[in-house]
Amino acid sequence: MKLTPDSETVWEALRSIPDPEYGLNIVDMGLIYEVECTDGGIHVIMTLTTPSCPSGEWIYEGVKTALNNLSDAGMVEVDMVFEPPWTPEMLSAEGQEFLGMA
Amino acid sequence: MGLALAWMVAATTLLVVQPGIPGLSHLHPQVIALTHAWVLGFLVAVACGAVYQLVPVALGTTLWSERLGWLHLGLHTIGVPGMVYSFWNWDLRLLGGFGSAVALGVLCFSLNVWLTVKGSGRRDTTAWSIVLATGWLLATVLVGLLLAANKLWVFIPVNPVFLLRAHAHLGLVGFFITLLQGVGFQLIPMFTLGEVKHWWLAKTGLWLSQLGLVALVPALIWHLEPLPFAAALAISAGLIFTGVGLKRTLATRKKRRLDPGVVAFLRGGIVLCIAALVGAVLAWPSISQSQTPGGFNAMTYALLGIFGGLLPCVAGMMCKVVPFLTWMRAYGPRVGRGPTPPAHALTHPSIERWGLALQQVAVVPLLTGAWTLHSLWLRLGVWLLAVGVALFVVDMLGVLKHLWIQPTLTPTPALKSKPIG
Repeated sequence: MKLTPDSETVWEALRSIPDPEYGLNIVDMGLIYEVECTDGGIHVIMTLTTPSCPSGEWIYEGVKTALNNLSDAGMVEVDMVFEPPWTPEMLSAEGQEFLGMA
Repeated sequence: MGLALAWMVAATTLLVVQPGIPGLSHLHPQVIALTHAWVLGFLVAVACGAVYQLVPVALGTTLWSERLGWLHLGLHTIGVPGMVYSFWNWDLRLLGGFGSAVALGVLCFSLNVWLTVKGSGRRDTTAWSIVLATGWLLATVLVGLLLAANKLWVFIPVNPVFLLRAHAHLGLVGFFITLLQGVGFQLIPMFTLGEVKHWWLAKTGLWLSQLGLVALVPALIWHLEPLPFAAALAISAGLIFTGVGLKRTLATRKKRRLDPGVVAFLRGGIVLCIAALVGAVLAWPSISQSQTPGGFNAMTYALLGIFGGLLPCVAGMMCKVVPFLTWMRAYGPRVGRGPTPPAHALTHPSIERWGLALQQVAVVPLLTGAWTLHSLWLRLGVWLLAVGVALFVVDMLGVLKHLWIQPTLTPTPALKSKPIG
């Protein structure tokens, strides 16, 4: 049986990826909807701030690269969804504070 | 963007060498040469570059033809210096040749943009503003060519001064203001995490200014009093609707602190509204439309519109767009492989702030100098502008440097939060 990283390791890896416009990592931006670690694979469901986000392709590829670089990553599957659409309310409390949200 | 920055430096150098130019009549060949260096060399080049890069992304499509874009860039690179030289030396035959090259380039640009928008299927205010703005730009260069040809052979019996005014308004209102009225509602929410809640304000603003421009151009050419005044009022009203729409969009923003570039863009927009109202006052039938320098005239109006309004709008957006585009090329492929900086970290914030601020402050002595014809004010304005431009260019070059030299980065501390989902 192949080992996979635990979900906390995956979240940490995703936290290393910043959104280039806001300088905040994509986890605190609320762009990661779901992380699932199963035997032999990692499945991530993510979104972008807008479907026409100019840096979307790089963020998506970066997520795949960062997860594939984890030891024992196994099969990495990243799904990009736009339903539900991202809203600023999805920012973490720390992210909201970082951006100066009231 | 590189070509535009080169033109910004060249046009500023021309002003430093000849600081008295803003004190001349707006019909003086050197004034016309300098205006084309600033507007066609710098402002149009930036706007076209941004349209090529951002319109396909914003509209969720791809550029119709990259080759046509390169052809446009080539024709613009050859044509604009030739035009500025021809104006400076008042050689209308040479001007016709170089102007035709620029017009052909603009035709390539317009076709490319129209087909890109058509392919996207988008028909909202932003898409319409892009389609209309590119159309007005094409009309501007064609009227410009007509103006030069008419000077040589006089085949249309119209006053060249009236035709010149129509040409200037086609470019400044038709291209720049129309474009800003659409893309402002795309960029401001994107950069501030805001939401456009009142699209009707954006739509009304755009169509009012279009209505005003359609009336203004023939009214200026054939001197149809008092239509220019009414048309200028419609354009002003359009800008006010746009301004209110953007203000309400900003009120919804989640990113409270505004970047210097966004602040400069908004200040430029306010000055454009003021300039439009000044234009309306100048169009009032009983106001003297003197072509001699000094006082309240077309020169002060043009300085206010170009340096007070358009320059901060365009330079402000460059402060946001250039780092972002550079980031995508320099650091995009490194995402997930190692630490990458945010796009705004590519700029030098204090240089950026001072550069933009000095450019804006320079407008006051420039206007005072053009009004009073006092060389001291003109020199002060020109030097403040030159220092502002120098700082701005240094900041932009510092950003572009990342295309070739990327510093080794240490991992940035991630904000600690509980996993979501």
